[in-house]
Formats: sequence, structure tokens, C-alpha cells
Amino acid sequence: MKTIPSDIGGEPAGPVDTIDHGMRHWERQANAFRSVVQLKKITCTDELRRAAEELGGRYKDMHYFEITTSAVRKVLIEKGMFTEQQLQAKMAEIRARFNVPDEIESPLKTAVKK
Amino acid sequence: MSGSASLKSTYTPAPEHRFKVGDKVVVKTAHPPGHRRTPEYIRGKQGVIERICGAYPNPEELAYGFDGKPERVLYRVRFFQTHVWTGYAGPANDIIEMEIYEHWLDPAGVQS
Amino acid sequence: MSGTPHDHYARGHDDQAHDHDHDDHKPVNEHDDGPPGEYEIMSRAMQELLEQKGIITAEQVTKRMELFDEEFPYHGGQVVARAWVDPAFKQRLLADGRAACAEMGAMLEAERLIAVENTPQVHNVIVCTLCSCYPRALLGMPPTWYKSRNYRSRVVFEPRSVLREFGTVLPDNVTVRVHDSNADMRYLVVPMRPAGTEGWSEEKLAGILSRDTLVGVTVPHLPA
Repeated sequence: MKTIPSDIGGEPAGPVDTIDHGMRHWERQANAFRSVVQLKKITCTDELRRAAEELGGRYKDMHYFEITTSAVRKVLIEKGMFTEQQLQAKMAEIRARFNVPDEIESPLKTAVKK
Repeated sequence: MSGSASLKSTYTPAPEHRFKVGDKVVVKTAHPPGHRRTPEYIRGKQGVIERICGAYPNPEELAYGFDGKPERVLYRVRFFQTHVWTGYAGPANDIIEMEIYEHWLDPAGVQS
Repeated sequence: MSGTPHDHYARGHDDQAHDHDHDDHKPVNEHDDGPPGEYEIMSRAMQELLEQKGIITAEQVTKRMELFDEEFPYHGGQVVARAWVDPAFKQRLLADGRAACAEMGAMLEAERLIAVENTPQVHNVIVCTLCSCYPRALLGMPPTWYKSRNYRSRVVFEPRSVLREFGTVLPDNVTVRVHDSNADMRYLVVPMRPAGTEGWSEEKLAGILSRDTLVGVTVPHLPA
């Protein structure tokens, strides 16, 4: 009778992929951002864990950094750091940067090697 | 591994702690909703207090923005794997240990 | 029972284990290929919103990234190497992990540390079944396998089978002691020091204390 989707100890599962596949750049940055948010005492480990657990049925289909990013989003909105609308607007703004023509400098352009 | 579970406490034990190192305890079989740090697989299992970790704000409350006070005593509890898993494939001397908060523990012999 | 601690554990996949050691501190990609996905955009957006509010700065995030990449991963091996050469330090480490790490400049912040020692009778292995708790200030970021469902689910109920997948085989009379890092403590395994390392410097000893040995899925071995 499992109430927490992350409570998986003891469940049958397949072989462990014993190779460490490391972290992508955005994951390292997302991890550092999450760490800074905790250091600033905006939130704590326990709140972030709880927010991840509240992903419920979606949890099992998400990758680790998708889960942690979703948890940070949930908690920061709960605490009034920004609204869902503000977040969506900022995300749209960032997406638009990738449509910037080649002759105009974009801070993110160098991060995307086509 | 020697029969005694006694190891010195790593940190200053809470001034009032219900259990001492070596006590036999059972993890409650409750299934409350919300944030818990007691895995399902260990609920209802019997083990032994391995050490007293100290007193900490309750994570079940910290998770919702409360201050978690008064602090709760945290123990490390040792279990034989054969007491945790039916049909455990390894030898009888294998063990598993984890941290369990005092409010999740009863003395062995008292079920809740 | 065979003699030396090094022979104590059979090795099933030496090459694979060797690769693990080299992969520990491999350089990470500075940039990702392809356009950012939804969650990358979400994380960047959240960071920029907090920067605009003056709550955090980009430099703080960058500095944190650098700590995770350039400092944290090395502390664990350094601490255990010190424990190997200095028995009094080892006792302090086993008694109060956080204080002992602080002696060496490895600050664990809010985390508590429990160091668990491998002996000829006991082999320790660490997991966090509920999420991915890990002594990041000592080992850096956890490897992908540590965060994986398969490791988290299985190592608590079939640890010997999981260890075998890492090439670590233990005789039945060695107790496998699994630690589920489920609350406020973090864990570091202190492996047995292999024979043939007598007189080694701490730096050289730290070189064989890979991340995998400090989580307990492998044991240290001398370079081929």
C-alpha cells in the first residue's frame, strides 16, 4: 500500500546499468541552482522531497533532473517567488532566444552547437 | 559480526530518548498520507537499536514549511535481512540498517 | 579463506571496474548538443526570475557548479586516505564523521556523516531508496546508477546480486550490511586498505579510493 511514488525499495527491477553516464551541462547548472536555493534557505531538502513525491503517477516516467526541476518549480511557486504565469512567460522568452537570427548575438546561442 | 549491537552514539543523544542501544524495537505498520521517511518495506519489521543519532526537527513537518519542532529523536535500527524479506536469497548474517524516528517505533512485543 | 584483503573479494569484471575508476572525474560536457528541452528551459527560467528579483546571482550558481565539479568529488578519497594512515583520525571519523571531515576542510554543512568501516567480516554498501541522498560534499554528484530505480529497488533486498553486477563477489561468511540513507544521515564507506600499499602517500592512496569504493559497490584495487 504505497503512498509515496519514490518509495521503491524492494520492488523487483532489472539489472543495474553500472556505468556512470554523468551529467549534461544543463543538469549541472540545474543542480547548482537547486543547491543555491537551499543554501539561501528559500526552501529545504524536505520540502523538495515532498514536492517530488507529489508528482504521483508521473514520477515513474520522469528522469532524475526532470523530477528535481519540477519539485523546485512547485516549491518556488508555493512560496510566491513567482507565479505560474510569470514562469511560462519567462520560458517563452527563453525559447524565443533560440529563434534569434545568426547575425544577432544571443547569450544562449553559444551554448547550442548546431 | 559480534552479537552485541552496541556502538557509541555518534552524537549527543537527546536528553529524553525512549530507547537505548540494543533495545529490540518494531517499526509501526501505519500508512499515513503525506511525506514520510520510513520506507514501506521496513514497516512492521523488528530490529535492534544500533545507535542514537540525536534529535532533529521532524522532516514530516519540515516538508510542509513548519519548523518541525519539538525535535524528535532519530535512531539507527539494525535488521536481519531474513527478518525483512521473505525468501531473502543471501545468508542469515546479512543485515540492513536505516534511520527511524522515535515516533515510528514501538518496543518489540507491543504491536500498533 | 584466502589470505590478503585484496584476495578477499573475487573480481568478476576487472576491466569494467577499471573503467569506473577512470570515469570518476572525467571532464563533463561544457555545452549540450541540440536545442534545450522543456526542463532545461524551466530551470533556466526559474534561475533568471530569481536573479531578476535579486534573490540569487548567476555567479552564486556558477560558483556552486564549480564546487560540485572541482572540489567535492575529491574530499571523500582524501578523508579515507587520511584514515588509512592515521589510526587516531580513523577513530575520530568513525565516531563523528562530520567533525573529522571538517578537520580536513571538507565542510558538510547541514549534513551528518556516518562513516562505516569494511572489515574482513563486514562489507558495507550505501543506498537511498527514497530519493538519492548522498554525501555530495565528499563525493560530488551521485552517479547515474545510484539514482536509478533498479539500484534503489534491488540493493536493499538482493545486495549480493547487485554487487555482482559491479564485479564484487563476497563469500557468505562476510556480512553484507546495507545502509538505506533515508533520513538525516549521510554515509561514507571506509574500505579495507589493500595489501601492497605500505608506505604510500595519502595522495597515492586517495587515487585508488574511487567513488564506487566509498559507496561500497566495489573495493579498492591496485592499478594493473
